[in-house]
Amino acid sequence: MSTELKKALYNISALADLGQAITSEDDFHEKIQSAFYVITGTFLANKGAILFYEKATGQLTTLTQKGFDPAGLNRINPQELRLLVKNEACLIQDALLPAVVGAEILVPLWVRNEFIGTFLLGGKLTVDPYTPEDLELLNVIAHQIAIALNNHSLFMDLSEKLEENKRLYEEMRHIYHGTLQAFAAAIDAKDAYTQNHSYRVAKYSAAIARELGWSEHDIEGMYVAGYLHDVGKLAISNDLLNKVTPFTPEERAEIRKHSTLSHNITAKVKFPWKNVEDMVWHHHERLDGGGYPDALAQDSLSEGVRILTLADSFDAMTSQRPYRKRMDVQSAIAELKRCLESQFDNRIMLVFCKVLEKEIKGELSEPDILPHLDKDSDLTVISSMLEAIILELSVRE
Amino acid sequence: MKSDQFSVVSRLDGDAAIIYPKGYLNNLSGESLVIECGIYIGKGITKIVVNFGETSLINSIGISLLLQIIEDLRNIKGTICCTNMSKFLKDTFEMLGLMKHMSVFPTETEALKYLRSGKK
Repeated sequence: MSTELKKALYNISALADLGQAITSEDDFHEKIQSAFYVITGTFLANKGAILFYEKATGQLTTLTQKGFDPAGLNRINPQELRLLVKNEACLIQDALLPAVVGAEILVPLWVRNEFIGTFLLGGKLTVDPYTPEDLELLNVIAHQIAIALNNHSLFMDLSEKLEENKRLYEEMRHIYHGTLQAFAAAIDAKDAYTQNHSYRVAKYSAAIARELGWSEHDIEGMYVAGYLHDVGKLAISNDLLNKVTPFTPEERAEIRKHSTLSHNITAKVKFPWKNVEDMVWHHHERLDGGGYPDALAQDSLSEGVRILTLADSFDAMTSQRPYRKRMDVQSAIAELKRCLESQFDNRIMLVFCKVLEKEIKGELSEPDILPHLDKDSDLTVISSMLEAIILELSVRE
Repeated sequence: MKSDQFSVVSRLDGDAAIIYPKGYLNNLSGESLVIECGIYIGKGITKIVVNFGETSLINSIGISLLLQIIEDLRNIKGTICCTNMSKFLKDTFEMLGLMKHMSVFPTETEALKYLRSGKK
């Protein structure tokens, strides 16, 4: 086989190597490094560089190089390269790149009408000059490198847009939560006795949902439902909400409208979370069907409703109300247990007890329930109580 | 062609480092060959023998990596000897004009004898 034929086969093989490098699953920089090795290995070039044109800055960035002075590469003016023939290798005249000592070949890289970058080569190890055949091969290589760089450029654009969207989403989320907090503050401000009730119910509900293994997205929805469950109270008179004496049947009926009002208000909001309006609507339902507004029972009550019902009741019991003193934590837990199956769900109670037990034992880095309980509570007694309930309910499970 | 995982081992024999590449020298894993030689060069070794007994194939990426070693040794006025080369490697190096920039021997022993003779 003649040397020319061997050389031709080697060049074809090099193009295959280049194709494989560019289409590999390697990351971008590994692809470019492989492509760079293919080029320098094909021509035995003692120097070389691949530079990427950053649209945002209008500057060329060196992706990989060997042998050139980095400062010289930094001084290449991309505007001058744009005047050259697209994707065509040219022998460098002295005046073209005076800053890049030793560069013999330059290829401006374009995809359609977009300047993407360039690559440079120094002389060959063999000191032979670049032949017209070499330049033709370089033109083919240039197209492939240009496409690889363009793909990277498109990917970078998309990544930037994705990051921007993520940032905007986080900002919106922040604003959303700020608005919800303002709403909750407005609800709680109507009734001096229920200060921060919405906030605590949100925290307790989210803690239970987290322990149940809900996704972060759904936990957030649970949290929002906790915040807004009493939003309907905004439409109930302050006098009625703060009444010290027992309600008349008419007054009770009026108060009970708040969950439907909460539903009507939240149903008008397009939440990114499912079932928020359902959870606020039915947070006064009971498993035995004795709740309101729809007397739903058992399977008609979603897990979210069951969580919210328990969290709301627990906070109501452990908070001071105009018509009664607050219960201590042990009594509230005992009351929840007494009402299991008729009012509260066994499994939700079990999970609630587990979370509280973990918080007492310091197993959770950010406790959601414990910080809001009576500071004078005897945690040892509560812990023993929780352990007994957990054991009992686990057996039933 | 399915390529085996490329690896490199080496040993020092007097003032010469013997490098044993193993596998197809065709991708970025071949950089370990340059790194291995670089470690010896960094320690002041100027004589390197690359035993290609377990590397019968090479592509343009491998050639580029070998070129790097040749240049690194040239910069310190060192010598590279290649031994146990397959016909494919010899033909490829010959065709590219690499033979002028290295010394080729059938075996490691002959390469070491040459390096110690002071003829280089």
